[in-house]
Amino acid sequence: MLVALLVAPLGGLVPGNGVLGAQSSPHGAERHLHGIVEDSLSGRPLEGAEIVVEVAPPTAATAARVFRKRSDGNGRFDFLDLPAAIVTVRVRAIGYVPDARRLDLTAGDRLITVHLTTATNTLQEIAVRADTLAERLGRVMATSTLNAAALSETRGQTLGETIKNLPGVALIQFGPSIAKPVIRGLNSQRVLVMNAGMKQEDQQWGTEHAPNIDSFDASSVTVVRGAATVLYGADAIGGVVRVDQAQVPDTGRMHGDVAINMFSNSRQGALSIGAEGGRLRLPFVGTTGYRVRLTSRVAGNGAAPDYYLSNTGFRELNGSATVGMKRSWGTADVRLSRFGTELGVLRQAHVGNADDLQRAMTTAPTDSAFSYDIGRPNQRVEHTTLRVRTTLALPNEHSVEVVYGLQYNHRREYDNHGPLRFRNEPAFNLKLFSNSLDVRWTHPRWNGLRGTVGTSALVQGNQTLGKAFLIPGYDLWQTALYAQEEMVFGRFSVNGGLRGDVISQTTLAYADLGIRSAVGTRSWKNGSGSLGVAYVLADGLDVSVRAARAWRPPTVNERYAQGVHHGTAQYELGDATLNAERSMGLETTLRFRRSSIHVDAAAYSNTIAGFIYLQPTQPVLTIRGAFPGYNYRQTDARLQGLELSSSWTPARHLEITTNGTLVRGTDRTNGGPLFDMPADRMTVAARITGSRAHLGSWFFGAGSQMVRRQDGVPAGTVYTLPTAGYALMQLEAGSTGMVIGSHHVDVSLSVNNALNTRYRDYLSRYRLFVNDAGRDVVARLTMPF
Amino acid sequence: MTVAFSRSARAAGSLALALIASACGESSTAAGGESEIISRVTLTITSPSGAVQTVYIDDADGNGPTAPSAQVGTLSLARGVSYTGSVKFENRLVNPIVDITTEVRAEKDEHRVFYAATPTGVTVTTTDVDTQNRPLGTTFTKAVATTAATGSGTVGVLLCHYDSVAKVGTATSCAGETDINVTFAATITN
Repeated sequence: MLVALLVAPLGGLVPGNGVLGAQSSPHGAERHLHGIVEDSLSGRPLEGAEIVVEVAPPTAATAARVFRKRSDGNGRFDFLDLPAAIVTVRVRAIGYVPDARRLDLTAGDRLITVHLTTATNTLQEIAVRADTLAERLGRVMATSTLNAAALSETRGQTLGETIKNLPGVALIQFGPSIAKPVIRGLNSQRVLVMNAGMKQEDQQWGTEHAPNIDSFDASSVTVVRGAATVLYGADAIGGVVRVDQAQVPDTGRMHGDVAINMFSNSRQGALSIGAEGGRLRLPFVGTTGYRVRLTSRVAGNGAAPDYYLSNTGFRELNGSATVGMKRSWGTADVRLSRFGTELGVLRQAHVGNADDLQRAMTTAPTDSAFSYDIGRPNQRVEHTTLRVRTTLALPNEHSVEVVYGLQYNHRREYDNHGPLRFRNEPAFNLKLFSNSLDVRWTHPRWNGLRGTVGTSALVQGNQTLGKAFLIPGYDLWQTALYAQEEMVFGRFSVNGGLRGDVISQTTLAYADLGIRSAVGTRSWKNGSGSLGVAYVLADGLDVSVRAARAWRPPTVNERYAQGVHHGTAQYELGDATLNAERSMGLETTLRFRRSSIHVDAAAYSNTIAGFIYLQPTQPVLTIRGAFPGYNYRQTDARLQGLELSSSWTPARHLEITTNGTLVRGTDRTNGGPLFDMPADRMTVAARITGSRAHLGSWFFGAGSQMVRRQDGVPAGTVYTLPTAGYALMQLEAGSTGMVIGSHHVDVSLSVNNALNTRYRDYLSRYRLFVNDAGRDVVARLTMPF
Repeated sequence: MTVAFSRSARAAGSLALALIASACGESSTAAGGESEIISRVTLTITSPSGAVQTVYIDDADGNGPTAPSAQVGTLSLARGVSYTGSVKFENRLVNPIVDITTEVRAEKDEHRVFYAATPTGVTVTTTDVDTQNRPLGTTFTKAVATTAATGSGTVGVLLCHYDSVAKVGTATSCAGETDINVTFAATITN
């Protein structure tokens, strides 16, 4: 897993006329010029802008000396060998008005920020970057982004699998088909998943409810670590996973790609076909751009080294279509997507009572039959979304973005067996309707202050229609007002935000005896805030410190859960009187950039007052027998951790990357560890790259993921959880742009768990019953057309 | 492309309307959450002379968190007597009452009732079988040896459901999923 990591890009460095203090240049006659190129409207860093520095000739007879560079992925450029003279700096990027300025380098080094304004072409079209949220984010927080190239190396897997090797990230897995991201030790209702600019509403509170997102339909995935509630709302108390799609093209003929993946472990096949273009003519609308994608994935039982994981196959069929236009007033687009999956749940994990559980845990699995069939228990989920988005470019560089989203999530879970009368009816049948409206105003620089003011509203209704009770039906109303602003003072960049939320939850009674779900409305009002300061210590070395306050109300399942959680035979009981969680976090990040070494490090400490968790209590006795009882309770928790990621290029064709994550969760009331904290983990990988005429850009790599023993298991855990450490090996080889006939194709072959290691991850939800998946040989082929 | 789009746009429009309509405060629950709940287990024991004893245990919330209520009725077993008996599983939380025993018999190949009796000398032997001649256990005989200790005894009833695990006729304990696990009290007399 070699990925580009962008951690906390520091925003505007020093305004154009800022001189690096009184510090004299330590480089003798050679002067440094550092800078960052940004879109003037959105503040987005511009990659690939050409920077030309011209040094005026000492006499008219000699030629001017010229230095050239291109900005990197963060919009940055560095010249380290300029003469101490007055120079002219010209910055050009496609689609932007060129910038030219004179700079005096005689006194010392300089740091500049270049704002490029979008060019207005003959069609009077203005390129407006939609989705202002993304831009504001990268500058304030510990953030990692997987771009399209990095994503293509993990395509065909779940969204969780694609991000699992990023720093600060772990997974709660239910076999090969369900993967839930864990960020800094928090998951589910504490990690917000944003897809296509909308908060994904797919019953995300359940650990066995994986994000209903087509991983092929993403051009980038960003992980924000730490509370980001100011911009994203209450669910982002632990972090954000952001799945983005590029804007639809506004020009060009139809082109696209066909991707085929094959996985040996579960004999999975995946096929995804996408096409886009900019010349779709629609009545009344004119020329629009479009993008469509259709994806199908089919997998059978996963395989541990010694046996198959019975009933863990899945079938997925997803599609999306977007049309958009770019005009002089801004952009507008409409996106429709549907995700549909049917997946099996491991047979052994479905038990009747605590005795059954004991037996399932102590009986060695022997399943030797592979099958694509999905039997009981299983889940069927469909997620349909509609998004209407427009970005208006107003005079004087103001812009307003309006996003309306409609989501319909239909989740059906089928029990192992049911009464004859309703055998084919789902045990749990939940329909979740969500309407969201987001309006964001981004204002231009005003006395050095730049930022976004926004408002957000959500109306949600949940219907509970199944035979059995899981959560009650409810209505949720949520409104918020927020502002995030940024300012630069010399080497300091300050970023702060405030948000106020009002959330109201009305639960409906469930019509069954013995179920404690009452009609009632509860409302919460609370505020979030964050303040971060970034400082440029030296060339390529930045540090930042950030404090954030966040909160979230208890979710419906925490308040009303009542029943057996099958995988663990836990009898879980909610508490309707739970109060909101309030978190106060402090974090610091360090970023070091040299031509051959990149290092990003982050450390944080986060206290959560009223942390909601499941506390073991008295066994619950029912007519089915005894179950270990767990009640939702609140405590004061502290989460602390370290994250490190680095890449080192010792030679031109060799890159070595390292990622490491440490999380410690503590119950402050008794000093004991918190449940479900990821074990310490580290990834080391090496990759050799090169390019040949017909072979394209080839690569060969090997890596290892090492997970240390989890020694923080809370007292009172009823089962002996597997806590042993393990190490897995991964191999990969491939090429992008390989020439076959007259086609350019991307091919790769990788082997996960290459040594077929037997292991059980502490966070695997099937850990009590079976080993995790064994060796998996993955072949990927992508053909552009 | 144009044609295809306008069609999907229309679909999108109608879908949006449908969803908005259903999203506005129409959340409601089902009329009755009926899962496979067994709220009463009844044991009926008949002596050779025809005297019938009936005892039952209720769980008013089925699988809910409230513990099953105390046993209603008493079982008095005399030493040296062999009784015949049957078990009945019911869902009495719904109207009309559902006899789950019928379902168990209808799916006899996937069910088995196990009995565990104390003290030593009290033996329960199931008398009915499934389609493959494996024990089912909705009816049984109960023999109390003359050597059995007098005083208090118990009869455990466990309904086992075989879904993913094969039902083995010679098994002495449940290898499938436990649907019911209750224990009745009995008195052994002379």
